[in-house]
Amino acid sequence: MAPSGLRRANDPPLLILVSLAEGPKHGHALAKDIEDFAGVKLGPGALYGAITRLVERGLIEPVGGDDRRRPYRITSPGSAALAEALADLRRITRAGVARLGLDPA
Amino acid sequence: MRPASLLRWYPRAWREQYGEELLALIQDTVEDGRPTWRLRLGVAWGGLRERGHQAGRLVRASVKWRTVLDRWSLFVTGLVLATVPVAVTGPPPQARGWQAAAADGMLAAVATTGVAVLVSGLTALPALSRFLRAGGWPKIRRRVAWAAGATVVAGGVLAGLSVASGSRSLAQQDTSWIFFFGRLAAGLAIAVAIGLWAAAAVGAAKHLTLAPRVRAVQLVLGAVTTTLTMIMFVSLVLWWSAAQSSVFLLVMGLINLALGSVLVPRRVSRAVRKGRRLRVAPSGAAVVNPSAQRTYGRHAA
Repeated sequence: MAPSGLRRANDPPLLILVSLAEGPKHGHALAKDIEDFAGVKLGPGALYGAITRLVERGLIEPVGGDDRRRPYRITSPGSAALAEALADLRRITRAGVARLGLDPA
Repeated sequence: MRPASLLRWYPRAWREQYGEELLALIQDTVEDGRPTWRLRLGVAWGGLRERGHQAGRLVRASVKWRTVLDRWSLFVTGLVLATVPVAVTGPPPQARGWQAAAADGMLAAVATTGVAVLVSGLTALPALSRFLRAGGWPKIRRRVAWAAGATVVAGGVLAGLSVASGSRSLAQQDTSWIFFFGRLAAGLAIAVAIGLWAAAAVGAAKHLTLAPRVRAVQLVLGAVTTTLTMIMFVSLVLWWSAAQSSVFLLVMGLINLALGSVLVPRRVSRAVRKGRRLRVAPSGAAVVNPSAQRTYGRHAA
């Protein structure tokens, strides 16, 4: 497992980090964005479980604003962890694409 | 069921930080205002996971391996010291070579542990004396009083058992339920007294200022005591497994042997490394609160 705790492509923490890489978002906006770009529907329980872990690890942080719809943003360690996880995924993807003889484009 | 009631699945601290946000998300997610069963189950599962996570965090924060091993050592030492007198006065079980070896190992470990504990106490005696002369007695009085009280109780139980057994043979004692419970009570009372004295010693040690050399000796002796305690415990269980012809006890003994073989060497090597670092510390450095092993620092000797 990576030091950041990010493991698989459909891990909620990884999906949240990818979503927040675009800019700060609150819970509902996160869920919608993740469903749009990954096709994964995260329920409120799973989403806030992942948000709690990411905040604890310092990978994301609340921005403030309305208490009931508080946005979160990715931190510098979060960006580094995301880059590392994506590099791992890219390596795996390249290997898979090459072995299947698919067009890398 | 209202969405707010779903928050009950979560720990209070979590609710205070994220509760309103989660409620807002639930309200944004459901279209007609009524959460589906799927959503309720997801939130409940998330809450239970959060409770488990919080409990794990609390346990990790409050219990450390070192503390566990220390308490385990003290408990097992007390248990063995309380059990050995009862065990060795009982009828001799059928002789088996490895059973005799286990009994010898147990007794040797008990004796060596006693010496290690005594030496450890003696090395800390000057620091304890300084602490008491500086008016530290009120800080440890309560724990010492509890330990002294438990010692009196244990002595009373042992004296009562001794008086009651004076006119009865060993065979009569072994068939008597009263003696069985009396021995059990005596063993427990001794174990509790030893445990309370150990707690008093640990409490006092937190206030002592030890020289690095003394602290290094204490660290190594602590690791040695843990090793010996593991030997005692495993020997005791193996001894009983032979005496009772119990496969369960044999398996327990072997599991503990395997666990000890993994944990004890790590602890010993860590203690030796720490002790070496302390010994090479500049003169004048001292260690405060050695039992907690957190507040290493330089203080006037």
